[in-house]
Amino acid sequence: MKAVCWMGKENMQVHNVPDPTILNPRDAIVRITSTCICGSDLHLYDGFIPTMEQGDVVGHEFMGEVVEVGPGISRDKLKVGDRVVVPFTIACGKCQSCEDKLWSCCDNSNPNAWIAEKMMGYSPSGLFGYTHMLGGYAGGQAQFARVPFADVGPIKIPDGIPDEKVIFLSDIFPTGYMGAENCNIRPGDTIALWGCGPVGQFAIRSCFMLGAGRVIAIDCVPERLEMARAAGAETLDFSKVDVLEALRDMTGNQGPDACMDVVGMEASGHGVVFMMDRAKQMMRTQMDRPVVLRQAIIACKKGGTVSVPGVYASFIDKVPFGAYMNKGLTMKTGQTHMMRYMQPLLERIERGDIDPSFVISHVLPIDQAPEAYRTFRDKRERCTKVVLKPWETAAAA
Amino acid sequence: MTPGNSKLSSKKGPKDLLKSKGVLVGITALMAYGVTRRSKTGLALATAGSLLALNASRSRKETQSHTRARFLVNASPEQAYELWRDFANIARFMRHVKSVQVLDDTHSEWIILGPMDAEIRWYAEITEDVKNERISWRSRPDSIVQTSGSVEFQPDRIGRGTYVSATVRYTPGGQLSKAIATMLGKHPQFMVREDLRRFKALLETGEVPTTLGQTHGPRGVHGSVEQVLFRETGNLAEPQAAHAYSKTA
Repeated sequence: MKAVCWMGKENMQVHNVPDPTILNPRDAIVRITSTCICGSDLHLYDGFIPTMEQGDVVGHEFMGEVVEVGPGISRDKLKVGDRVVVPFTIACGKCQSCEDKLWSCCDNSNPNAWIAEKMMGYSPSGLFGYTHMLGGYAGGQAQFARVPFADVGPIKIPDGIPDEKVIFLSDIFPTGYMGAENCNIRPGDTIALWGCGPVGQFAIRSCFMLGAGRVIAIDCVPERLEMARAAGAETLDFSKVDVLEALRDMTGNQGPDACMDVVGMEASGHGVVFMMDRAKQMMRTQMDRPVVLRQAIIACKKGGTVSVPGVYASFIDKVPFGAYMNKGLTMKTGQTHMMRYMQPLLERIERGDIDPSFVISHVLPIDQAPEAYRTFRDKRERCTKVVLKPWETAAAA
Repeated sequence: MTPGNSKLSSKKGPKDLLKSKGVLVGITALMAYGVTRRSKTGLALATAGSLLALNASRSRKETQSHTRARFLVNASPEQAYELWRDFANIARFMRHVKSVQVLDDTHSEWIILGPMDAEIRWYAEITEDVKNERISWRSRPDSIVQTSGSVEFQPDRIGRGTYVSATVRYTPGGQLSKAIATMLGKHPQFMVREDLRRFKALLETGEVPTTLGQTHGPRGVHGSVEQVLFRETGNLAEPQAAHAYSKTA
């Protein structure tokens, strides 16, 4: 089958690789009909996340049809022919974390848990198409994928809803929604949100769904700010204004009730501290550039909440912890506990509350993935979200 | 604990030669990898590899080691005891054990994978068996490998499952072989922890998570070395172990 493989920094290649097979009793094989490139794949592309292996199949947002089911899965849970969206986190459904609905913290799904324990104390769940510290499972930017614990994760999709409307249940819609939920929104709250990429777009809409009064969206890419305004957000272009001053002014010296970092480890910024962060990242003494996180903590209202759906990989310097402590802030984070959100959000899509396909800017055959990564990373061609079609071949251009 | 292995092997000879050969291969691999990366990380790795070896080669003391790990599992002591007590299951969660054949109620024949995946065969007997509480075993005195182990099951006081504590005693080689074993993920402490982690997964989910045998693109030199460094070749569960079991079960 065709698969997008990580071959090194800024080097994604499409290779012909063997089809996946069932390895464990609770595995299933999915024939993929749509798969996407996620912002967090760009961290891999840029080579900033440790423990990748040359030859890894990437991709963690995918959906398709079940073509094979292991002997450990009962037919009423999943069967051949089911149309499913697969969540990017892998959860066993049986451990203490899963029973507590902390699905992205599953105890058992990461076979390389020891690496994560060295860095984090305890290991979160395994993920598709990500680093080996987080499992090293082959991903879904391919024609087929092996799905472990397939009786827990995949959600069945009725026929009649196009892929484009439901594919984002695999990661970014629930991720944006959990980011909003983590803001502890009370009716009428003001939320400031850094990063208007695809997750940010869903987070903005989710904030309003959860009763926020105002959302202030911060980015520097014109079309993304436009998209945020279309959802009812006020916007700030950080390349043109001083964000902290603007937020102070807009909230009457109170600060936003919650601040959301939907950017993560590769934030853009300027000034001396940013240059130092960049230098440290290049030297690999600091893997993350926490520009946004610092701003979010400083900007947040006293007693407010900082929600962090943006991805961080390791250690960060110069976190204004004095501000964090003295203002009595709360921080909520985590990879998305997918299985909490997929069903309720599917119902919202079916009801017509939201049509997630609005973020798609490019639909391309899988062969064009390498160029698509570059286009998405550099935000060229108004690229906001790329959907790859594994079974289509490039039209003769 | 039963003093099953009072005689410690302190002879040095051909075994050491074999070990140092292993060391050489490992260090060459690490350094070759480091050098081919042509990056700072690579250089650091190569340096670390050589320092590790140098440091290890200085101190060669042989002591009897004793390793222990403890995991809270989401199951009852009865369930945990039952899974462990059938020694035929052991190959499903102890990665270096290829198979255990149960001979009678207390005796079993183990085949383990030693250095370079060579098969080593030995016999074990159960020395203590308290239902739902404790199992102890040791190798028979005439076995090549002198080892003993025990596992205990204690219910959590507020009902959050069962604490499973495993202890393994063994007669190790020198520091040098330990250093190389550490690098390859075969350090005894590491192995006991990982075996117990797999036991927890098997007990809770009915299988042991693995990516061994999954599809991937061309690994090249870097990808292959990374697999060794991340201990995926030595530590991930072999799906065949599960298959073999499902055939007999």
